[in-house]
Amino acid sequence: PEMWNVLVARLLHASMAQWNDYHHEDEDVDGEERDESGVDYTSTGRDSLVFLVDASKEMFIKGEDEEPSPFDMTMQCVRSVYTSKIISSDKDLVALVFYGTEQSKNPRNSFKHVYIYHDLDLPGARRVQDVDGLRGEKGAQVAGETMGSGNTNLGEALWCCSNLYSDIKLRLSHKRLMIFTCRDTPHGGDGERDRQARTKASDLKETGVVIDLMHLMKPGGFDVSLFFCDVVSPPEDEAELGLQMEPCGKLEDLQKRVRAKEMKKRSVARLNLCLGEGMNVAVGVYITALQARKPNAIKLYRDNNEPVRTKTRLYHTQTGSLLLPSDTKRVQVYAGRQIVMEKDEVDVIKKFSDPGLELIGFKPMERLKLHHHLRSAVFIYPEEEMVTGSACVFTALLRRCSERNVFALCKYTRIRNSPPRFLALVPQKEEVDDGQAQIVAPGFHGIFLPYADDIRTLDTPQLPTASESQVDKMKEIVHKLRFKYRSDAFENPVLQQHYRNLEALALDLMAPEHIEDLTMPNVNMMDQRLGSLAQEFRDLVYPADYNPEGKTAPKRKPAEAAGGTEKKPKVEMSEDELRGHVQKGNLGKLTVPVLKDACKQFGVKVTGTKKQELIDALTAQLTK
Amino acid sequence: MARSAKTALVLCLDVGFSMSNSATGQEPPFQQAKKVIQKFVQRQVFAENKDELGLVLFGSDNTKNNLAKDDQYQNISVHRHLMIPNFELLEEIQNDVQPGSQQADCILPLADHSSLLQGKKYERLNIVMLTDLNTPSSPDQLDIIIGNLKRAGITLQFFLPFPVDGGGSNPPHGGKALSREQQQGLEMTKKVMMSLDEEDGLEEVYTFSDAIEKLSVFKRVEKRPMAWPCTLTIGSSLSIKIVGYKAVCEERPRKSWSVVDAQTHQKDDIKRDVVYCLNDDEETEVQKDDTIQGYRYGSDIVPFSKVDQDQMKYKTDGKSFAVLGFTKQSMVIQHQFVGTQVLKVFAPKDDEHAGVALSGLIRALDDLKMVAVVRYVYARNGNPQVGAAFPCIKEKYECLVYVQLPFMEDLRQYSFPSLENNKKYTPSEDQLSAVDSLIDSMMLVEEDGEKKDLFKVNHIPNPQYQRLFQCLHHRAVNPSVPLPPMDPWLTTALQRPLAVATRCQAPLETLKKKFPLKEVVKKKELKTSKELFGNSCLGTGRSASRAVWEWVGLHH
Repeated sequence: PEMWNVLVARLLHASMAQWNDYHHEDEDVDGEERDESGVDYTSTGRDSLVFLVDASKEMFIKGEDEEPSPFDMTMQCVRSVYTSKIISSDKDLVALVFYGTEQSKNPRNSFKHVYIYHDLDLPGARRVQDVDGLRGEKGAQVAGETMGSGNTNLGEALWCCSNLYSDIKLRLSHKRLMIFTCRDTPHGGDGERDRQARTKASDLKETGVVIDLMHLMKPGGFDVSLFFCDVVSPPEDEAELGLQMEPCGKLEDLQKRVRAKEMKKRSVARLNLCLGEGMNVAVGVYITALQARKPNAIKLYRDNNEPVRTKTRLYHTQTGSLLLPSDTKRVQVYAGRQIVMEKDEVDVIKKFSDPGLELIGFKPMERLKLHHHLRSAVFIYPEEEMVTGSACVFTALLRRCSERNVFALCKYTRIRNSPPRFLALVPQKEEVDDGQAQIVAPGFHGIFLPYADDIRTLDTPQLPTASESQVDKMKEIVHKLRFKYRSDAFENPVLQQHYRNLEALALDLMAPEHIEDLTMPNVNMMDQRLGSLAQEFRDLVYPADYNPEGKTAPKRKPAEAAGGTEKKPKVEMSEDELRGHVQKGNLGKLTVPVLKDACKQFGVKVTGTKKQELIDALTAQLTK
Repeated sequence: MARSAKTALVLCLDVGFSMSNSATGQEPPFQQAKKVIQKFVQRQVFAENKDELGLVLFGSDNTKNNLAKDDQYQNISVHRHLMIPNFELLEEIQNDVQPGSQQADCILPLADHSSLLQGKKYERLNIVMLTDLNTPSSPDQLDIIIGNLKRAGITLQFFLPFPVDGGGSNPPHGGKALSREQQQGLEMTKKVMMSLDEEDGLEEVYTFSDAIEKLSVFKRVEKRPMAWPCTLTIGSSLSIKIVGYKAVCEERPRKSWSVVDAQTHQKDDIKRDVVYCLNDDEETEVQKDDTIQGYRYGSDIVPFSKVDQDQMKYKTDGKSFAVLGFTKQSMVIQHQFVGTQVLKVFAPKDDEHAGVALSGLIRALDDLKMVAVVRYVYARNGNPQVGAAFPCIKEKYECLVYVQLPFMEDLRQYSFPSLENNKKYTPSEDQLSAVDSLIDSMMLVEEDGEKKDLFKVNHIPNPQYQRLFQCLHHRAVNPSVPLPPMDPWLTTALQRPLAVATRCQAPLETLKKKFPLKEVVKKKELKTSKELFGNSCLGTGRSASRAVWEWVGLHH
């Protein structure tokens, strides 16, 4: 297992090295119904986050076993928040401020021992590089040279931060300030400074700033009650044991804790869960896993690299006059007949019921099939602020569903014109770790269930099954290659490469930082672990002359091996050939690329890219 | 993708006078059968498959068929020969197919299949009989007909107003008792169906109401699933040939709406035009050729040409289904699945060695309650995925079920306030038992005996498309009439089953008493009205902008 653990450690390392958050691209969106992440950020203003970091000598002391110093850990955390903001929420503002420094750097330098490293702004490549410069041994040295460690006056630091907020012209919706420190009595018993800090903290809280403490391990333990309990914001709910939380000793814990706080939870919908007539429980619908995709490219003006705006206009081909949406209608063609509808009609056809979750009934958990999967699940949590009493019903339902091992079947209508989907609401009880930090949040997971149309019937091949000895040999193989799967262990190499590339271009680096592709199997290690087992299994299942790697499509291989991304030479189709296909009605036999080429060749305009649309367009053109 | 083999289907509709009789308050069988046919033809038209369809009426007032001679094969009319269904057929069914005043033998039309075929060749021929069986039938010809059907490889489906097993003299579902002819006809139907398929023959006999509610009972002619041949690898020296198929995937309509001019209904009359302009006060227009591609990187804007991007992007070296390792099934949780499809992975159907090898893996995983974590790449230019391959052992086959798992970038780990530890929200024993009775009364799977499931989502056709096709059908046949209301069966199919709705009444009332709920009226509500106000502003804004557009248009 030793060696295997190396792989596992490698996976774990990846999860620590960097974490990012989602972003979303409407790629194959066909109607808004798909767009589950439809959160309107524009109307709510910007989110902002200030890192207020202790730069005193204590922060630079390394832990036992070469554990990184609290300062080093903090910088790694800040870096990963910066990069994750760049990738996921590029409108959010972030600042980095140090306190307890020797040097001072702030507007007018009116605050002593406060050093604004980055004021409140969007993070960019340069800032990431700056923070990188503060990491590790060398980083500590740089910090010592530029800022040094000196007196501590947290009150001044908080005051300085409040100016950061007020200097911003943009509307801020969510304001958070995180204090990173390993000292529970920053002023060493100076009551006046303690009092001043408390006052400044409560001023900040009054203007809507949420103050969190990210306290780090300190010899003898970190006693929150000595001072910080009066500085930080009260917990979200009475049960949150925020203040009793153990200080973080590990980077991973710290990152987890920062991550949990740093993102403002936003629901994709707030609606009623209707248990029956007159029994409406308010819930929020959240997304906890959504495929992150490469963002869309933007167009820049060649001369100055400034983004250009695109304007789409509809106009009449004959008269040249601009058209309003109301000057148009929608059509679909079936069996040669054009069917016309108003835009409004097209929308209203999709309406079935008002937004909400409607309880149909309950089923035992074993009725939920693993392969009934259509898209990422949603998470459901009560909204006590909308309907009081909701949380209590919800908790009771959650508890009994969980204890009785049943799920609730619901009809889900997200927005007004979205057609219904059915969700299996699977109960999820809260889980906490040793430090009382939440690992799994309480609520229901909503799993999308397929309709009859979504399930395809397959011709299943009739093949012999394995004997007991063959199965046993495979069990040995499986056993050798066991590992502990973690959902956050794999980074998306496509995204990582994309952002490394952008980073390199932004910083004029010679080459992008190398990414480690964790999706690639570690073949050497696997072969080593398996030893002779692979050969033994092969001998048990394959005859001597059988080649399991034999090509299924042998013709294509040489071309691929010859390398290059050369495409197959285009075969132009003669008009007669194409007409022949149209007449015989077997255009459907051609592939989409061939159809597209044919459209281009004969100057056929196509609006869609679906195969049927290409066929329709070609048929229409050639039968004119 | 090769088109599926040519199939033909003949609908034989009994229009005899007994089809118009019904118990008071019930829809006559004729109307029900007509609805079934309309639904079915509608489905075929919108599926735009090339299957051909014929319509034969029997019990009709006129006679029109090739076998008709003297007094034989009378009152059987071939309304439409086999051809691809279209809206004309739908219009004919709506307007021209009317109940007749005669009766005709319900088995005889089967004899006439040769005249329908008109010498054309089909891979498959299916005959659908819609009748109340209320006709004197001639058992003497039965064996010949069955023999002919068998020889021609023709399959048969029956649609009746009553269930096949609900026969006898007991009135089924409160309806009329079956007549002697009907009982006799039922026996004959059973005989025909059983002799065509001894085991499952009777499963191809449906009731009208079944058929209207669940169109899925129609033999669905579907897209042939695309095979994805690949090799499963474990390390460098163990490979198994596999073939993957999409098994579950959100089915989308084949067509999208296109935009046409409101007056002429012509697509060509409209042109969409994209212009680029600078972010200055004049909104200076620039040419597309003067723009380059770029991306945002936080506060930075990075020019990044397509060529450079293609050169620098992550590349894969082709298809892959490579095992990264094995893990406990309990570590891979369903709510973390991402992606939009489920694959079923088999061995190639002509490769028994691969079959045995894959079976070894499937059974090993099943016994150990483990899954394979794999790297999946669809094709050379596809993006890599990490996913889980679960073992799946069914009576008739074994396979791996592949689902995509999230990357770290896909996860949002929110924390939520605790519910269990919050005194305010802790339910009392009393409240918990009220929830218990609600769950008891609303169980959709009945515990006793055969465990019948009252609400199977995977048996409901996607209502979005049912509704869309209903409206398209309506508009195609009645262009100037407003859209119809939703089909009642569809509304019903999406609701709590009646039995459950009745059963849960009392527990629900108790629940309401035990859990006081109060809607909070907050400032938010005011904001809503502000939004309304905002909307009305938008309305005037729109007409203002229209003026501007027109002005631009004039100066264009």
